[in-house]
Amino acid sequence: MRFAFPVLLLVFAAIATLAAGVRSVPVPEIWHALTAFDQTNPLHIVVRDIRLPRLIAGLAAGASLGMAGSIMQSLTRNPLADPGLMGVNAGAAFTIVLGAFLLGRADGGFIAALSFPGAALASLGVFAIGGGVRGETGPVRLTLAGIALNALLMSLVSAIVLTRTEALEVFRFWAAGSLAQANVRPLLEMSTIAALGAGSALLLAPRLEALALGSGLAKGLGTRPGRIQLGALAVVTMLTGAAVSIAGPIAFLGLMVPPLARRISGHTLRFEIMISALFGATILLLADTAGRLLIAPAEIRVGIMTALIGAPVFIWIARRLRPGALT
Amino acid sequence: MKGTLLVIALLLLAILLSLSVGQVMIGPAALWDGLWHGSGPGALFLRVLRGPGVGTALGAGAVLGMSGAIFQILLRNPLASPDVMGFTSGAGLAAIWGVSAGIALPIPLFSAIGGLVAAGAVILLATDRNGSQPPLTLILVGLGVGFFAAAASSFIMTRLPHQEATEAQRWLTGSLAARNWGHALQVLGLGAALTFALALQVRSLALLELGDDLAAGLGTRISRSRGLLALTGVLLAATGVAVAGPLPFIALMAAPLGARLTGARHPAGRLASAAAAGAIITVLADLAARAAIPGLQLPVGVMTGILGAPYLIWLLVREMETGDL
Repeated sequence: MRFAFPVLLLVFAAIATLAAGVRSVPVPEIWHALTAFDQTNPLHIVVRDIRLPRLIAGLAAGASLGMAGSIMQSLTRNPLADPGLMGVNAGAAFTIVLGAFLLGRADGGFIAALSFPGAALASLGVFAIGGGVRGETGPVRLTLAGIALNALLMSLVSAIVLTRTEALEVFRFWAAGSLAQANVRPLLEMSTIAALGAGSALLLAPRLEALALGSGLAKGLGTRPGRIQLGALAVVTMLTGAAVSIAGPIAFLGLMVPPLARRISGHTLRFEIMISALFGATILLLADTAGRLLIAPAEIRVGIMTALIGAPVFIWIARRLRPGALT
Repeated sequence: MKGTLLVIALLLLAILLSLSVGQVMIGPAALWDGLWHGSGPGALFLRVLRGPGVGTALGAGAVLGMSGAIFQILLRNPLASPDVMGFTSGAGLAAIWGVSAGIALPIPLFSAIGGLVAAGAVILLATDRNGSQPPLTLILVGLGVGFFAAAASSFIMTRLPHQEATEAQRWLTGSLAARNWGHALQVLGLGAALTFALALQVRSLALLELGDDLAAGLGTRISRSRGLLALTGVLLAATGVAVAGPLPFIALMAAPLGARLTGARHPAGRLASAAAAGAIITVLADLAARAAIPGLQLPVGVMTGILGAPYLIWLLVREMETGDL
């Protein structure tokens, strides 16, 4: 029953994504476009060829980032953890651009394949610099480690991009960070990886909870902290890598979603991850739809929308942290 | 004394290197000639090609360095600096907004207002129920305000035509390309005025560093002097941003580096060495940005990012070991 409200919200967001835009499509017409497609009806073409891929991209990317945020916050015991803020997006950007620089190639599949090693390296790096190995990932430390890693990687990205036009083209295409080019991205492959990541996340959840009790207690319960942490980082990499390959760099979604999800799920991590997936998809779709409507016919990239909403949420969470819990 | 001489020597060396190295190399002798006779290739490089850029880099680095030193001393935290706490992002946002909206007011005015609004927001949002602002909360809230300003800048850029958006992106990274004497004189002049204002407050900064109770006992009006110092710090940072964009990490790195070079203990000496260190870093980063890749000028902010991010990582690791953070 707990799922009823999040699912209803998601359905609403999905319908809004299909219906709203420069040309709004009435709901019965959406139904016809999906069930009885008529090639001569322009509204049907808008729904089926433009907005449906966008919806699927938003579902996959939003759910992945919501789940990744939930796992990162549990792993680091830090309410300000978010894959985008922690430099995972920048890591993906770096390997994508480096690949384009060295190989001089650029297409959707290539971008997708390259984003994973970068995401993996960055999530390992930020976890290590932020004190994760010792189990001391305080909010200030982890956020600053993310900022430092982000700054370093993005400076290198700018340096590469400015020297090689091919790299610039690839970067522009990827960093557009929107769901608008969903139909030229490897949606199916990435959704599969995201689904695998989601499955692993649910399997890993009870052990992560044991780890959150403290590594001594976790060992007593028969889990090995190092392995669980590596497993969790691998899951974060799969989910974030898939999301950035579909939608470009999107930050703050993984930050906002888990606290909302916790209100419904309570503190059972498995539930929290499932609800985070639903809320993540809902918020990303709504942000994307709002971005299309606010300054129509121009569009605000969904990555900018999530940052504009997410930065105040970051401040709000930071304010509520007790000074003793900051380090 | 030895430290002071070392810093001055480093500064002169950085200036000389920056004037001579580039696409075309020019020797110190030719520069010397150009300086005194006002003709020949040396004069061209000094007056037109490289002089203004080096002057702007000197000024911007110095004001950012001083601004970082003020906040690091005030909050007694090496992470407190106008770039980490979002003030420079706020200044950058206001400047981008002013230019894109086509309002014909000087850029330093926009960047000053943006920096002050950001600082005001950070202080307001970081104030807890007891009316005090814990330093770490200030830093975290500042990071958040910086994130918001960066997102808002990206939003403004999406509405600009392609060419202008590229230009704005370059500026937001921090750039010293194509600076003229107007920029150099602006940052040096405003910087000198603010340095004078700061010199009048050095005594209260020194007292505040001893702790609020002691400072109050010695006759300092705590909140007033702290507010004035913060105001001076924000304006210094905004002055640098107005000519060079929100250069990352200079303000963060300059004060600790300067104090290490000169060994200064008193706030006055630390402020001066922070200014010198900021100028050295910026001039050298600008040189590296020009000379790293032949035929291409990287924005200087890319270089300060590549230099500054490892410093921040090192700082985090060290603070973790000593248990300060």
